[in-house]
Amino acid sequence: MAETIKEFVEELSGFAETAEKTLAKIESDLLGERALFKVFSERMLAIRGTALQLELPEIAKIAGLGEEIAVKAETAETRAQLRKCVGALWDALTTVKYLLQNHEEQTSEEREILIRRLEATLEAMGGARPVISMEELSELLGRRN
Amino acid sequence: MILGEVKVLVVEDVEAMRVQIKSLLRTFGLPKVTLCDSFRKAAVALDEAEFNLILCDWHLEGVNNGMDLLHHVRSVDKLKPIGFIMVTAEGTREMVIEAVKAGVDDYLLKPLTTAQIQDKVYGVLLRKKVL
Repeated sequence: MAETIKEFVEELSGFAETAEKTLAKIESDLLGERALFKVFSERMLAIRGTALQLELPEIAKIAGLGEEIAVKAETAETRAQLRKCVGALWDALTTVKYLLQNHEEQTSEEREILIRRLEATLEAMGGARPVISMEELSELLGRRN
Repeated sequence: MILGEVKVLVVEDVEAMRVQIKSLLRTFGLPKVTLCDSFRKAAVALDEAEFNLILCDWHLEGVNNGMDLLHHVRSVDKLKPIGFIMVTAEGTREMVIEAVKAGVDDYLLKPLTTAQIQDKVYGVLLRKKVL
């Protein structure tokens, strides 16, 4: 099991590297490269899905916030909003990378503060996209079948 | 068809997830599993062999994603009957509704559990009269 987690984490670290390069490119040209936020959000989604599967909830939570902030950044209206998103995404990514290397570490107060800050940034951008509940999904599929 | 003969195509871009899904499928009697990491490879596999069920992630390697594969499967006559389950962490209402409209047979949200995947896989195979 430990070996499986190690392999997962190594693969996720590769995704984090891609996200880091993408974010650096966005930062070099905030308006011109904003389409790359999609690449970033997709990497965060991949990290979140796998972290959920691995029962690494803190990584999943922070990657999920990064994913949603990146989605909002794609349509941010001002340069100031874009800068705020990029700053938040660097914080999220740096923490995800750290946690991937130290996934057995307990939650710290510092990370709880970061999560609250990311949540506040996301709220200021209009909040996360609505998610579907299992009940709603069953109803949708049942109606169609 | 007996369970052990069911052919499953798993399309997922995270290698460790692919391996885990294959292992979960084996535990409840589905040994015939083919793994792919991209739309392109999945399309080739579907062209070359017959499958009864596809488990596909939303986001894949390359330009095309799981929704593109779903559209492909539902648009090619010989592939239309194949059961299609989207396996993803993508739970955004708008996107899930898009998948339902495009003809997904069921939807599995990560994290996957053995019971959940078993329930959905059997459900689709029974509805499709594969079993």
